[in-house]
Parts: sequence; C-alpha cells; structure tokens
Amino acid sequence: MLGGEPDGGRGIGRPTSADGAHGGGAPDRGQSVPAGRSLELVLADVAKGDHAAFGAVYDQTAPAVLGTIRRVLRDPAQSEEVMQEVLLEVWRTAARFDPSVGSASAWIMTLAHRRAVDRVRSEQRAAARELRAATATIDYDEVSDAALTTLEQERVRRCLGGLTDLQRESVTLAYYGGHSYREVAQLLGVAVGTVKTRMRDGLIRLRDCLGVEW
Amino acid sequence: MRSRRGALHTLVGAYVMDAVTGRDRADFERHLPSCEQCQDDVRGLREATAHLAAAAAVPPRPELREQTIRAAERTRQLPPLVPGQPARHGGGVRVHSWLPRLVAGAALALAATAIVLGVHLSTMQARLGALEQRDSAITAILGSHDATTLTAQVRTGGTATVVMSHRARALVFTAHGLTSLPTSKVYELWLMGPAGATPAGMLPSGHHGMSGPVVVNRLAPGDRLGLTVEPSAGTGRPTSAPVVMVALSP
Repeated sequence: MLGGEPDGGRGIGRPTSADGAHGGGAPDRGQSVPAGRSLELVLADVAKGDHAAFGAVYDQTAPAVLGTIRRVLRDPAQSEEVMQEVLLEVWRTAARFDPSVGSASAWIMTLAHRRAVDRVRSEQRAAARELRAATATIDYDEVSDAALTTLEQERVRRCLGGLTDLQRESVTLAYYGGHSYREVAQLLGVAVGTVKTRMRDGLIRLRDCLGVEW
Repeated sequence: MRSRRGALHTLVGAYVMDAVTGRDRADFERHLPSCEQCQDDVRGLREATAHLAAAAAVPPRPELREQTIRAAERTRQLPPLVPGQPARHGGGVRVHSWLPRLVAGAALALAATAIVLGVHLSTMQARLGALEQRDSAITAILGSHDATTLTAQVRTGGTATVVMSHRARALVFTAHGLTSLPTSKVYELWLMGPAGATPAGMLPSGHHGMSGPVVVNRLAPGDRLGLTVEPSAGTGRPTSAPVVMVALSP
C-alpha cells in the first residue's frame, strides 16, 4: 500500500511533462525534503515504532517545518516548541498517513502550517495584535533570506516571481503570514472574491511552474 | 445551488493555505467529500504549498533533535485505521481511537463489577450514562480541528498526555505508567489559574498502566493543569506540590 502512486489524472491543467517528482529524489530537484517514495517508506518504518527512522524523518523535515512555523509565528522559542509538537504528532500518527491522498512531505507540512496558524489565531483572540502588524509587511524576497539557500529555494523564488503581483501577495500573506483570505483582502484593499481566485490561480501557477506531480 | 458550489470550489487555494476560517471552512469541508475535482485540486495544491514550506527551511538548533526523539520514545503511537474507517487527509480531523476504546473498556469493567457485586441497577445505569456522556465529550475534543497534544513527564514517574481544544475550552487528560499509590492516596487534577486552584477531577486508574481519561471543561486563559497526590478522602485545595504541571496557553 505504501509507496503506491497517487491516483491522479483528473485535475484540470495537470502538467503532463512532469516527471521525477516521485522518482526517489532526482538530484536536480534540490529539495530539502527529498521527494516522493523515500520519505513515504521511512514514514512506514516510523509507524512501526522505529526510532532511527523517526530520526531520519526529523532530519529530512524539521528544517522546513521549523522555517514554516517561524514565518507564521515569528517568535523563535515558540516556533521551536510548535516544531517539536508537530514532529511528535508525526511520530504519533505515522500509521494514519495515507499515501493515496498526497506525499508525506505535503502531509507533514500541512500539519506544521495548520498548527502554526491555529496558534496565531488563538493568540489573536487573546489580543496579540502586534503579530499581525509584523506579518503584514512580509515580502516574497524573504523566501531567500534563510540561512541556507538551496536549489529548492531558488526554484520557488523563481516560480513566485512568475505570478502576478496580486497572486504573489495573496499567496505569501496567506501562507507565510498566516492570514485568512478575508484578512488578506483587507490588507490588500481588494474584494474577498478577488483574493479567493488569486490564491487559487496563484497556487495553480506555482504548482505547474514547480512541475509538481500529485 | 450551482453557483454556491462554484463559490465553494474557488476556496480551494485559500483552504490549502489554512486561510479559510469558521463557517467557510466548515462549508468547504462538507462539500469536499462529494467533489472529486476539489479533492484533486487540494491534493495538487498541497504539494505546491509543501514546496513553499521547503523554501522557508531553517536549520533547527542541534539539541532539539535529541529532545524531540527522546519525547517520541516516551509517546505512544496511534494504531493504523482499520479498513472501513476512512482516513482523513492532511491530518485534518484527527481520529484518536484509543481513548474512546479506553472509555468503552471502563464501561465494560464497570458493568462486570456491577454483576459481581450486585450493585443496584439504576445506580449502575446512571454511572454508565455519565460515562457515555464523557465518551462523547472526549470524542468531540479529540475530533476538533484545533486538537493539540501535549505530553509531559511526571516527576514521580510516568507520562501525562493532554489533548486540548482551545476552541472548545476543554481537554482530555490521561497518564501512563504512574507510580501506584497506597489506597489512602489518589491523584487529583487541578486547574491552576490566576485566581487559585480549582479541582478538576480525580484520576481513575485504568488498565495496563493507563490512568484516566478525565475531561476538564471551562478552561480559562492562563490556566495551567496540575496533578497532585491527595488523600483519597478528598480535599478542597491541593495539599502537595504538583507532580506534573502543564501550561495550557499557547
């Protein structure tokens, strides 16, 4: 079951030329999270309680998990705490990972992002508003400001550069800023409906530019 | 109807970036199981967001690796979902099966005791009813979108696990491998807030080293959850230092 190719092919605009995304980490992909099968297989070992495999999952995913959380939360100490919670959640629920609904890295990054956003929103309710002011000015150039610049970062940066300004701002404010689409509409001064479609179109363009296979 | 569905479908981009909240999110998630195109798009766009995550990578401090792996070694893993019980995507609704099972087990054990001891049936029914109510409260907390799991080492031995929903202002507490106490003593939970400690329930001892579950409601900002050892006769406030203390605020 694990490692089975995702049952795709129904999506509109699905890139037909994309290859290698699940091919076991072609070297030119330069991702910090190795693509496809390998992480899925390691996760299967984690599900069986293999501590060494969990160490491997940590090594492959913790930097991206931490980076994503830090973009959203900003506070370094809190971000480390949430990163550990997310990795522990991966350990705990590894047996529940379903490869038919996406890659292991998408699963883990979804957990991480959601956890960070939940944390921000519960804090916002507790009136920590200055966080929003801080994240409102996020620029996509920050994608390259991390300590390590990998090929993956270069690629994502290039693909983000290919979006329209409104698409790019909508995507980065939502993903890296942790804002809801209604907040993004407010921040950008455009209609909610516009933001919704820009987010979708922006991500589709990003997906196609990255040659993501799903 | 068609335009409503179309409008929901447009949300797919915002949805995979966790930018859909409240009712919108509930509507979209209700729509999702019946919309193959949406599921396909969610799948594809999530892969794109995973690249956004990878592009943000920063190396964690080296000592965090050891800490995290050690925490994993102390954390029990969930069993796989059995066929027929659909898995949800992306860690959305987390279905934790072991806690309700523990409750069901406790109910069975209670029923068995009733037969042996000949406890009055209506008393038993009332207790089972209470257990059932607690069971549904537990399921609600574990199934909530913002369910967060915290684990902590108990000073005197064992591990405490808290699954908490900020939205529901409620948590489920369980412990594993606690040091057993003489019959004159019990483990008791307390909500320790700025206004002092309020009792949050005695910890029933379960089976196979498990204790609990206990549902704690009406959490307030700033609350911490403490576990103390108290005389089994009961006490209005904690009389000993907590053996574990869990900060509940994010």
